[in-house]
Amino acid sequence: MEVIIYICLALLLSFCILAAMSQSLLKSAIFLAFASATLGVILFVLGAPWAAVIEVSACSGLVTVIFISAISLSRIKKEEVQKLYADKKQMKYLPYILIIAGIVIIVAALAGSVALPGTAVESTEDFREVFWNSRQADILGQIVSILIGGIAVYVLMRESKD
Amino acid sequence: MNYLNYAAAVFLLIPIAAIAINNICPKPYMEKNFHTLTGTVAVFQIAAAAYALCAMNANGLTAYDFSILSNLKITGSALFRLTPVSLIFLLCIGMVAFVSVAVASKTIESMRISYVNLLMTMLIGMNGMVLVKDLFTLYVFLDVVGISSFVLISLFRSTKALEGSVKYLVISEFATIFILTALAFIFMQTGSLAYQDIGGVLEGADGSQKNLIYLSIALLIAGFSIKAGAVPFHSWLPDAHQSANTAVSILLSGIVIKIAGVYGLFMVVSLFPGVRAVQIALAAIGVASILTGALLALRQTHFKRIVAYSSVSQIGYILLGLSCGTTVGLIGAVAHVFSHAAFKTTLFSNAAALHEQVGTLDIDKMGGLQSRMPVTSLSSVVAFLSTAGIPPFAGFWSKLLIIIALWTSGSAVLGGVALIASIFTCAYLLRLQKKVFFGETPEHLKNVTEVKGGIKFVEIALTVITSATGILFPLVLIYLQSRGLI
Amino acid sequence: MDQNMNFQTVMLIVGFLMIIAGCYCMIRTYHILKIFIGVEIAMKAVTMFLVLAGYVNGRAGLSQAYVITAIVLEVVVAVVFAGVTIHLYKKYGNMDIRNLTQLKG
Repeated sequence: MEVIIYICLALLLSFCILAAMSQSLLKSAIFLAFASATLGVILFVLGAPWAAVIEVSACSGLVTVIFISAISLSRIKKEEVQKLYADKKQMKYLPYILIIAGIVIIVAALAGSVALPGTAVESTEDFREVFWNSRQADILGQIVSILIGGIAVYVLMRESKD
Repeated sequence: MNYLNYAAAVFLLIPIAAIAINNICPKPYMEKNFHTLTGTVAVFQIAAAAYALCAMNANGLTAYDFSILSNLKITGSALFRLTPVSLIFLLCIGMVAFVSVAVASKTIESMRISYVNLLMTMLIGMNGMVLVKDLFTLYVFLDVVGISSFVLISLFRSTKALEGSVKYLVISEFATIFILTALAFIFMQTGSLAYQDIGGVLEGADGSQKNLIYLSIALLIAGFSIKAGAVPFHSWLPDAHQSANTAVSILLSGIVIKIAGVYGLFMVVSLFPGVRAVQIALAAIGVASILTGALLALRQTHFKRIVAYSSVSQIGYILLGLSCGTTVGLIGAVAHVFSHAAFKTTLFSNAAALHEQVGTLDIDKMGGLQSRMPVTSLSSVVAFLSTAGIPPFAGFWSKLLIIIALWTSGSAVLGGVALIASIFTCAYLLRLQKKVFFGETPEHLKNVTEVKGGIKFVEIALTVITSATGILFPLVLIYLQSRGLI
Repeated sequence: MDQNMNFQTVMLIVGFLMIIAGCYCMIRTYHILKIFIGVEIAMKAVTMFLVLAGYVNGRAGLSQAYVITAIVLEVVVAVVFAGVTIHLYKKYGNMDIRNLTQLKG
């Protein structure tokens, strides 16, 4: 089990860095979708199947569709993209910053001896009971936010009368 | 007997009912009478909060648990709780919502049904934030308030409003990331995020896990400070508050930054008491906010932008009150939340009145309006005196309580800084008053008349509230002393 | 060193690196939609932290409830952000963040 997790963590980190540094926004969205799928595998191995399903379907599916539909409205030629947004110059330092930050964090973790318990505690509860019985205030919040999303689509996308 | 249960259900159920009524009624009728519906909701909220305060006081309760859906499968797990502090916040929410609706009846000409829907969802979000017993649900309602304010700012889709909304959105996402990371680490340690379970987390943790808890407390403070508009995360506040419609600016500056930001910091301070680093961090952020807000307000020329920077400055005072760690500081901070809601909404109502009658908000183009718009001018002067902390208005008492709290808890230097910063407050507000209301009247403004209707009523009402709270505040102090809180 | 480097600690480190990458992407880019990609990257790290916390202290059901609520809220924010961005594109013709200079001071 640990081997799968290590491989997936490496894949996840590399997909995220590629998504951040990529020149074309379409490729960024695709890398983000792959990163979501990898994260879904990690969540499933860690014993959270419901979260894995919703992560893959919502982040990898829904958010990517929203992205690509927003991107498809701003199609300009490829050379102009690179000149206009100058992404290569802006994002050039990301790998170096991550390597330095990684070294700092690893040293801090070893020095502070931050360690999480190695053995997992067995989970005795079912997600469905917890969610529907004791998180009802959260459900109210989610319903209200989806309502606001609907109102937002109406407010922002209505045809202007002028 | 159980009227308290009905009063408690008002806060969350009446906005939902209002959304239903708003969308079911025929459209032309709603567009003309939207202020009746929303005004009723706001009045219900003020009445329920006042009644619940008296009822809890009479019965000697300090906390009252209730739940909305009474057929929960698990007994004894009420999801919401009323406490006196949350009732004062609910009173402020009701008051500011009422002012916003009264101003909106003049300034919002189209899209009224969407405005009412979004205002009701923002009310549900804010009421939910102060009523819940769980830190994660607090974050959920915080996000609800945030999303509804993004949409409200960009309601009319002007270029400036979209820009203000984007800036607010991007900086608000930083706050979301910080708060969620902190919640994940606290959850790792305690196994539950309810308030009663987080209480002993710092004692029960050993060395390495304590570092993670300290990191998460720091992230929580950073996240809520971003939402409150405190320095160094204040850059979104002037843009968002200036570019929104004035009815929305009243909501944002009057109550949203305080519920979303200050209430969150208040929960952090009450969940992790006695941590010295928290007090130092809050005091540093507070002092920086007071000075930066006041200094940056001195060079602005747009009325609403000056008032927005003034909000940054006053949030600094509230944070200084929270940083003392004593009950007096807490009472001072909550009192300043109330008086700031009163005088800030007055100033924004004046901005709405000026925009209605004069047509511009550039203070270099105005002057000598005191004889032309007497009611607006008087309410503006009262708001200025209350902000600067001059007796006998409400702002004087709340600032006095904060400075006394700073003095008695050992940081006399900060008390002195807060006192001296009042001079800066006087400076920029005096400049505003002088340029707009006193002096020579330019030619093109000779025909300006006083504003009529809802805005005038609200200006008078807020002036009365500010003065009455100031004059009657000693009664409140006597009552608190009899309860042993001071 | 062995007893500290179990996979949970590695997951914490990778999560922190992802948050730093996401925040850097949010700050430095000039394209408005890329800001949201940065937000998404950081949210993946947060999701991973929440489920890891549930795995470590045995309350996997509760942590999944948290994750699902956070994902729903994030999708709604994505919808609002895309809507505002499309309008800015219609006003300016491109999605450059350097256009947003109307509110100054």
